[in-house]
Amino acid sequence: MKVVGIDLGTTNSEVAIVENGQVRVLPGEDGDSILPSCVGFSDTGKLLVGREALRQYAAAPERTVKSIKRWMGTDHKTTFGDKEYLPHEVAAMILRALQQRAEKALGETITQAVITVPAYFTDAQRQATKTAGEIAGLEVLQIINEPTAAALAYDLRSEETERVVVYDLGGGTFDVSVVEITGEVTEVLASHGNNRLGGDDFDRLLQLHLADLFRQQHGVDLPDDAATQARLLRAAEQLKIDLSSHAFATVREAFLGSKGKTPLHLEIEVARADLEKLIHPLLVETLEAIDRALTDANLEPEEIDRIILVGGSTRIPLVQQMIQEHLGQAPTDGIQPDLCVALGAALQAGVLGGESVDAILVDVIPHSLGIAAAITTPMGIMPDYFSAIIPRNSVVPVSRSHVYSTVFDEQEAVEIEVFQGENAIASENVPLGSFRVENLPPKPAGTIQIEVHFDFDLNGILTVTSTEKGKGQQGTLVVNHASIQKLSSHDLKQARADLDALFESDEIIEISGEELGDAVEIAPELAELLNRARQALPTLDAEAAEELQDLLDQIEKAIRASANANQSTELTELQAELSDFLYYASTNEAE
Amino acid sequence: MTSHYEQLGLSPGATTAQIKAAYHAKLREFPAHTYPEEFKAIRGAYEAIRRGETTQHEDFLKFRPLEAELNLESLKQVQEKAIAQLEVSLEDLIRATF
Repeated sequence: MKVVGIDLGTTNSEVAIVENGQVRVLPGEDGDSILPSCVGFSDTGKLLVGREALRQYAAAPERTVKSIKRWMGTDHKTTFGDKEYLPHEVAAMILRALQQRAEKALGETITQAVITVPAYFTDAQRQATKTAGEIAGLEVLQIINEPTAAALAYDLRSEETERVVVYDLGGGTFDVSVVEITGEVTEVLASHGNNRLGGDDFDRLLQLHLADLFRQQHGVDLPDDAATQARLLRAAEQLKIDLSSHAFATVREAFLGSKGKTPLHLEIEVARADLEKLIHPLLVETLEAIDRALTDANLEPEEIDRIILVGGSTRIPLVQQMIQEHLGQAPTDGIQPDLCVALGAALQAGVLGGESVDAILVDVIPHSLGIAAAITTPMGIMPDYFSAIIPRNSVVPVSRSHVYSTVFDEQEAVEIEVFQGENAIASENVPLGSFRVENLPPKPAGTIQIEVHFDFDLNGILTVTSTEKGKGQQGTLVVNHASIQKLSSHDLKQARADLDALFESDEIIEISGEELGDAVEIAPELAELLNRARQALPTLDAEAAEELQDLLDQIEKAIRASANANQSTELTELQAELSDFLYYASTNEAE
Repeated sequence: MTSHYEQLGLSPGATTAQIKAAYHAKLREFPAHTYPEEFKAIRGAYEAIRRGETTQHEDFLKFRPLEAELNLESLKQVQEKAIAQLEVSLEDLIRATF
């Protein structure tokens, strides 16, 4: 039985495997290694995952969702039609698509996986990821950290110890890990990060910037509707990508807004320097995180042998430049920033699946775990003090105990409240659960001792046990799901059945509106163009309108023709023609 | 400390490189996902040896259980002192006012 490794990313996901000692990413039927982490429903209610869903995003943002990873572990709801989905249910759709991809590529059933998460993910986020895997029909053998997976994939093959900084800036999350690699042993010394910092934030900043530029150009605000904003966001993302390889890039979006009856479009050149100014403060935060991870690892920047960049956002030249200036050395070339996490996950999957893989992984817990305690100060008793029992960056699995004593005479009960975080005030951290130890014997303050034992396993499950030293009274709490309820086996079956139904329904899409009665699939981009063309028709002069109508007729014919043939180059050409026409028509109109 | 060395199959006085090599050999033998308890013991021994190696003073900084005890005697003293101070300042205040 093969175990796959899955990188479930904010923007893109991949599935990889070890076969005969070789690790490789499994491509989809289109030959693409990457599956965009995008889920949507077509206008007829057919589930779309990946590239197809991404394609309709700008045309149908209300039926499409991107970056669901940012919501993992929360009860944020995504509405498709009359149904609401939780983040892990949407993630399950992506995982199922990856599972299918692997099964097609390998010709066998796949039921076990190792899934990666950002190192700085909390317990709730990890649990949600695991639940998503279970809904998809995958037994999640281990959740491993993305920078650790990247380090694992980075094959050093040297018996000399190397100290490596893994800087992972993805679509939605940022991690930095300090790793020591000796031969096949990959040991994480410290991790730090930010679960809400990534390329998505750069896109949003650029989107706002473009909206400002539009206002300056035309003196009116852009419409605030979802479709316009989705197009602007898509343009911002493309602009960001273009600016990684060019010092200047141009945005062209026709019919983005209107002034009275005049359609307005956005055409503007943006400099790389403008983008850099926008994102600089966010990148400074990532440098601070590097410093903290180095401090926790007890290392100076000079002691670092190598810097590895992971995640699509590290393609931004400013990122590389700032890291180089900060750490005094250039990042290592030759790493595949998009695929190395999936490759590392596959290696660990190979280890667990019994493949002959020489890889030993020693990882750490990113957040401190502890309880709320009262401490005595000269000012009196101060409650709500966070007493960390397992400090952050402890190697997992780990067990630790601390002994606490009562603060009042004849104290009858003790409340054990468990938290995760770094704040000295307990209630400022993430609550994981609580329980009471009751019926303590009446004794003076400080004479009853209670030992609190924390046991944290590789699957991220924390078991808290408290023992009253005198009488041996015990209380136990198993924290394996913070805010997300772990699904009962019944709920899990139901969720899986719902998902199966979505993947099985293979309805033929009907095109509504147009006089095209035949069941034909229209690419969302083309549908959007046709929509714009219909809007533009009444605003054009007679000659242009006739030309446009002619073009539309040709497209209609081509669509009918392509209902039989799968791909029509003619249609593609006509689509490009229509796009150009609309663009120039709007330009003339505005003048 | 000796038992930590024994845990890793080392004799006291082993060099840093020997300690690391022994630790890695034990990791190979007891991977965390199959032998969690053994792994924890190995890791505990490795950390203890390294701590002892770097400095003896590190124990001083080690987190200790909180002594959540109220010394009633000293509390009373603090209270009396505070009240005394308040009275004095009240007298001063009256004197200053009139």
